[in-house]
Amino acid sequence: MTDDCYETTGIRRVIQELGGFCKNALGNFFSPEFLCVLAPLLLLWELLPRYDIIPASLLPPLSTVAATFKDMLLHRNLTLHIAYSMGRFFVAFGIAVGLAVPIGMLMGWNQKIRAFILPLWQLLSPIPPPAWVPMTIIVFGIGSSMHIFLMVIGIFYPVLFNTYQGIKDTDPRYLASARVFGASEFTLLRKVYFWHAFGAIIMSLKTGVAMGLVMLVIGEAYGGRMGIGFLLGQAKDYFLIPEMMVCMMVTGFIGWFLIEVLKYVEIKAAIWKVGR
Amino acid sequence: MIEVCSISKFFSVVNDKGLAEGLTAVLNVSLLIPDGSIVSLIGPSGCGKSTFLEILAGLQAPTDGEIRIDGKRVLEPLPSTRKEMEDYKRRYRFISPLANGVFTDRPKHDIAMIFQDYAVFPWMTALGNVVFALELRSAGKRRSERPSRAELEEKARIYLGKVGLAGAEHKYPSQLSGGMRQRLALARALSVEPKIILMDEPFAAVDALQREKLQDDLLFLWKEAGDNAAPISIVIVSHDVPEAVYLSDEVIVFSPGPGGTVRNRILVDVPRPRARTDPEILEIQERIFAVLQYDINQESMYAI
Repeated sequence: MTDDCYETTGIRRVIQELGGFCKNALGNFFSPEFLCVLAPLLLLWELLPRYDIIPASLLPPLSTVAATFKDMLLHRNLTLHIAYSMGRFFVAFGIAVGLAVPIGMLMGWNQKIRAFILPLWQLLSPIPPPAWVPMTIIVFGIGSSMHIFLMVIGIFYPVLFNTYQGIKDTDPRYLASARVFGASEFTLLRKVYFWHAFGAIIMSLKTGVAMGLVMLVIGEAYGGRMGIGFLLGQAKDYFLIPEMMVCMMVTGFIGWFLIEVLKYVEIKAAIWKVGR
Repeated sequence: MIEVCSISKFFSVVNDKGLAEGLTAVLNVSLLIPDGSIVSLIGPSGCGKSTFLEILAGLQAPTDGEIRIDGKRVLEPLPSTRKEMEDYKRRYRFISPLANGVFTDRPKHDIAMIFQDYAVFPWMTALGNVVFALELRSAGKRRSERPSRAELEEKARIYLGKVGLAGAEHKYPSQLSGGMRQRLALARALSVEPKIILMDEPFAAVDALQREKLQDDLLFLWKEAGDNAAPISIVIVSHDVPEAVYLSDEVIVFSPGPGGTVRNRILVDVPRPRARTDPEILEIQERIFAVLQYDINQESMYAI
């Protein structure tokens, strides 16, 4: 086989994949073009407060934020807070995706199922997820289950609707050519509908990550004693702007990282789309 | 053998005023396609030949009439009375009449179909596409008789080799040229060893040189199957008169739509292998061109 000699295995494969991931994710940032924009911005951030052009109490310079970050990391268990938040986030993400993708696929596949349950989501989804907060606090109390529920609400709808759309738009000719060979509906869902909607599903997961983080911050800021949103709420109460900025940047980084992971998954799993 | 007994298909469409209007796609078509023959359906666009092919494949239900493949009915016609309609709705409340089943893969008839485009799944490799079809075809068998994955792949490789795609097993359709993609579709269709292959303008999107090569390869593989006592009937929908005449035993000319029906049946009684420039072939081509020309001109007279 000529094509097998390109395959690497074991640890070398892992390193190779990591390299590919970093190149994909960071390539944009370390391009000369973007550095031309980023470097002056960072410089301004450092210098404007330092020379009191903007009051340093409102916009702390970059070095102060970096020092605060280090301090939080060493003395205020920032990693533990992040771990708590991420743990909840991934549980919620798993639940939401595990529910939304199958339900969306069923709705896209069958008109009867669609007629029964689609209006339900159309009624419920316009409620902005933050509006669920008071009810949720009363029902679930303050704690992980409340945070998880809020995030599930945030992630569920975008994933559901995008999956449903993607499945519904499957080209009937693909279905026809599989049906002629005798494919059952379940096989069609697994081998045709799903892959046709794959791009839409990954896209919806990206939206889901963004919405999930929004709900993470909102939920944790309302109640709880752990998590990145809690730190942010606390910083707000004590008017600690450097801490706020650290929390903002950490959540931003988490969102960026997760979306980059999803992008990489898309590139790897949908290799058939590359080169189109 | 395919028996087609007075098939008609009506659609309801929306006209310019936004009102529902009836449209006849196929009107009263009867045909008999014997085993191992190649038949072309030809006609101006919009005459319902593609619809007819889909009815043949069981992808659409006819409004009236029925199609039997080896004595087995393909799809029951749509209900015509209110009572029948209610029964029909009740029966197919959950799953459409086109479906093979919810969980069990089971081919209804020994048919393979090739579309002009969208023929192969872009998310599977060439090998994956063929294995997919083979897997479905062997799903009807008992678990112990089912071939293993390796056997399927072996068989798939053989068929890919036959159509000249050896070495491209692990390529995705987007990495193949249009002609190669149609070859892949052909390999997939042949691999399941069907009795009937339906082709909807199979070579329309391929450049002229590739097309002639593909036609010759198709004839070669068809003859090979016939020699191995597994004759394949091929039904081709085509716009291309020379292609239709060159390939088929019988050319069926549809009248212009709406309401396509069989206008002429022209036998091509020329022994194979044929030459494209054989005078007999050319003469038949001329005749078909004349028929189509006449139809198109008549239509334009009505239009004025």
